[in-house]
Amino acid sequence: MSIDQLSSIFAALADPTRRAILLRLAEGEASVTELAAPFEMSLPAVSKHLKVLEKAGLITRGREAQWRPCRLEAEPLREATDWLEIYRQFWDDRFERLDDYLRDLQNKENNDAR
Amino acid sequence: MPGKTTVTLEGDRELAMSRVFDAPRELVFKAWTDPEALMRWWGPRTWPTKVCTIDLRPGGAWHYCMVGPEGEESWGRGEYTEILPPERLVYIDTFSNAAGEATSEAIVITLEFKDQGSQTLLVSRSLFESAQHRDTVMAMGMEEGMTETLDRLDEYLAA
Repeated sequence: MSIDQLSSIFAALADPTRRAILLRLAEGEASVTELAAPFEMSLPAVSKHLKVLEKAGLITRGREAQWRPCRLEAEPLREATDWLEIYRQFWDDRFERLDDYLRDLQNKENNDAR
Repeated sequence: MPGKTTVTLEGDRELAMSRVFDAPRELVFKAWTDPEALMRWWGPRTWPTKVCTIDLRPGGAWHYCMVGPEGEESWGRGEYTEILPPERLVYIDTFSNAAGEATSEAIVITLEFKDQGSQTLLVSRSLFESAQHRDTVMAMGMEEGMTETLDRLDEYLAA
């Protein structure tokens, strides 16, 4: 996955409404009207969010029906999540070294106090 | 319980990490601001910190060098903008050269050390210059993380 793709996915995920839309789509495909229902938002506003999600590759929209159902695309979402997880792991390893250091330091202080 | 680091993306150009350490915050703060301490833990295991100088005052900086398995040098610099022991530390983080001149885009790092009795919750916020900058740095972290993981696997297989 390219940095540009990753950036557009992260940007798409940064918005709570778009995250809620993705959660809803995880249950199955839905129309724009159905997606707009839980939000106090106009259809054009929801359509705008859907365009961002579509551009990021997180959803696709059917061509077959008039109502153009939206579907979740799981793969790019998983890749972006993996990306975050590896970054997290990288820092977790570094913080583990800090853990070890702090433990040594406190053991040493305890020994010195005896 | 100490342990697992959490990472969250906030907005377009911010990233937050948090982790609990099993030590009072005075100690954790010292681990971030004392050169002897930083040389003991800063950097990936395979890239230990070999040089570290600190001028702990606003406008002052820490300047360090991590050395890789082939002797490669990676210099970094953090210029302090806010120092409030043992609660808060803000610095502007860049890659640098050996002379301490910045060689990359800057990340504003805000560290908060939250007192939880005998433990400390560390919250680290990184504010990048742009979304693109954040995501590039994350991708670099991914590459390094991958390398480190593979090194570990090598160690495991060799044992």
